[in-house]
Amino acid sequence: MKRLIICVMLIILAFAMFNATAIAQEEVTLTIQWAAGAPMDTLMILAEDFTAQTGIKVVGDAVPWALYHDKMFTDLASGRPGFDIVLPDSQWLGAAVEGGHLVDLTDWVNENVDKNLIFEEMLRAYSEYPDGSGRYYGIPGSANALGISYRKDLFEDPAEQAAFKEKYGYPLDVPQTWSQLRDIAEFFYRPEQNLYGIALWQRPTATAGVVDQFLSLFWAFGAELWNPETRRVKGYLNSEEGKAAARLWVELFQFHPPGAAGYSVDDTNVAMRKGMVAMMGTYFSFYPGIHNPDLSLYWDRIGWFPTPGEKRRVSQLGGQGMSISAYTPHKEEALKFLEWWLREETQWKWVRAGFFSPRVDIIEDDRFLEYAPPNEAVRASFPVLKDFWEIPLYHEMGTVMAEILNKAVLGQLTPEEAMDLVAERHEEILQREGYYN
Amino acid sequence: MSSLKTSWANRVSDRSLLYIFLLPTFGFLLFLVVFPLAWSLYLSFTTYSANIDQPPIFVGLSNYTAIFRDPEIWYRFVVTGQFVVLTVIIQFFLGFLIAMLLNRKFYGRGLLTTLFILPMMFSPVVIGKFFRFMMDTNWGVINYLLVGVGFPRIAWTASFEYALYSLVIADVWVWTPFMVLLSLAGLSSVPRYLYEAADVDRASGWFKFRYITLPYLAPILTLAVLFRTMDAFRFFDLVYVMTGGGPGFSTQTIPYYIYMLAFSFWRTGKSSALAYILLIIIIALSNIYINYLNRVRRA
Repeated sequence: MKRLIICVMLIILAFAMFNATAIAQEEVTLTIQWAAGAPMDTLMILAEDFTAQTGIKVVGDAVPWALYHDKMFTDLASGRPGFDIVLPDSQWLGAAVEGGHLVDLTDWVNENVDKNLIFEEMLRAYSEYPDGSGRYYGIPGSANALGISYRKDLFEDPAEQAAFKEKYGYPLDVPQTWSQLRDIAEFFYRPEQNLYGIALWQRPTATAGVVDQFLSLFWAFGAELWNPETRRVKGYLNSEEGKAAARLWVELFQFHPPGAAGYSVDDTNVAMRKGMVAMMGTYFSFYPGIHNPDLSLYWDRIGWFPTPGEKRRVSQLGGQGMSISAYTPHKEEALKFLEWWLREETQWKWVRAGFFSPRVDIIEDDRFLEYAPPNEAVRASFPVLKDFWEIPLYHEMGTVMAEILNKAVLGQLTPEEAMDLVAERHEEILQREGYYN
Repeated sequence: MSSLKTSWANRVSDRSLLYIFLLPTFGFLLFLVVFPLAWSLYLSFTTYSANIDQPPIFVGLSNYTAIFRDPEIWYRFVVTGQFVVLTVIIQFFLGFLIAMLLNRKFYGRGLLTTLFILPMMFSPVVIGKFFRFMMDTNWGVINYLLVGVGFPRIAWTASFEYALYSLVIADVWVWTPFMVLLSLAGLSSVPRYLYEAADVDRASGWFKFRYITLPYLAPILTLAVLFRTMDAFRFFDLVYVMTGGGPGFSTQTIPYYIYMLAFSFWRTGKSSALAYILLIIIIALSNIYINYLNRVRRA
């Protein structure tokens, strides 16, 4: 009898274990690593639809922005990252691909993605590496661009408008060129009233610092970082156009609040929320705090415009692509997620939540304008996007550029010396890494 | 009883038992300390990026010569040196002074001592954030007070003139308590009868300090300075949070630059070489201190 009971118990136990294993095998959980913040939270909420449709669970690995680059690459370099899908900044793509960390999605993209529906520069910057190769390692994830917010109460004040017209000879309005933006910054520079003309990122870092914002001005002046064929920098970055851009950048700095040489995302956002500046540059996706009445004194009096032109109108691309870790055991499930993400229905939900889609049809639909304050400026920016290097050396080249420009705004170098030095240092880096062999 | 005699434990000698107990520790040491040290030493003679799945390429002393030829790295050494000298000297004198004050008997002494050592217990990142807010040019409390008494606003963390000093101030705030603690420990070890004997001889306060307190305290103070110097050379966290190495790269200490080389630029070989140079400097300085400590002890 005793043996019989033991046998029955063993059979029950074995059955339970078999069942548990079978359930465990059926249940797949995808982990997505991305920077912590409202977009990540929203993605997790939307992913519940994906789970309902496929049975595949999705969890997030949210990393603070300041740590995101280093954490992502350290995880990948370990060969055992704790995520299946990752959303790297566009300029990180080359380093991740060269490291062998991302799944080659070329065939899948060619079969499943209607490229005509995606903004061309987004597909190139978020997905393609090397440029023009037709090899894809991701899809557009969170679309974004650099823009300028401004205090509408100041711009629309009749007394200010009259005074501006009298001083500069043209009406006070959203600037069409960087030179006009300079005039407006100068006009509103009133330190005695604790009001300053403009706040732009000046922190000497490759990401979320001076490089992002300087380049929007640099592109507008018609300058280029290098010759994409020969990879030569001298004569391009430090061309007359590049130096003119640097001169205006340094000139603009004098209309910033004191201590602005260390400004990054939070600092400029706070300056605008306190109403301390007439204009402020940031990526459009950082708008929520600026329009939040609990955080911002001027939440209902802030408008947005695309970064101005000069010789041409170009907007600096922001945002991240969505890629699959080369180390994931759930590649099929991850591909399903990517396919779900680019669906029109999902993208509309993303847009309704207040974020921006890489799909042309959605951005051009007038309903898009209803969902977030900067959307009109976003629509004007997305067709003219441009991004900087996506090669693995981007961080070193960006850091060098940031440190030198930071010295220039603080008067340690002239703008011309700064651009010559950046060009020289960039060529040294490229030479060292064999780009000229 | 017979099974006990033949048991495994009885057949193992004391010496073997010693090795058996030590083996896991040696294993861990080899795996966690010796192997990484040896591996990074090897990498310092190679061109290698930990981000790319390619083997290291041996380049001899190239990384070391490149470092010594780079004026920007020398500049970072100077910054690190300035920081170490400033912060250790200020902490030493301030810590010792506070310890002398706390060594007297007064009401609330225990509470005050506890409050003084609190900064050491906070996370460096939290401290960095605190100081960044307090030192903000426009809405920081420090400038608010300065402007209140008629001084101009100072761009503490964003100007070439003040950025390094802002880091020194924050580090002094965190680590002076360490000096206080060790100085207090030293002061409490001085035998009371020596002071009583000096009082009988009507010795002056300076005499007692110079010939009783200081000789007793010298070894422990040297040790405290040694620890702080070693630690200050590894200064990283507050730079990362407060200045990000800026403006320009004027507050990039060597450890911060090693971090950037290793994890932002993925130049693992060169970062290993620089780390070894820093290690050699710290060991050399430590030896000077230790020699001095031995001399003091012998005296």
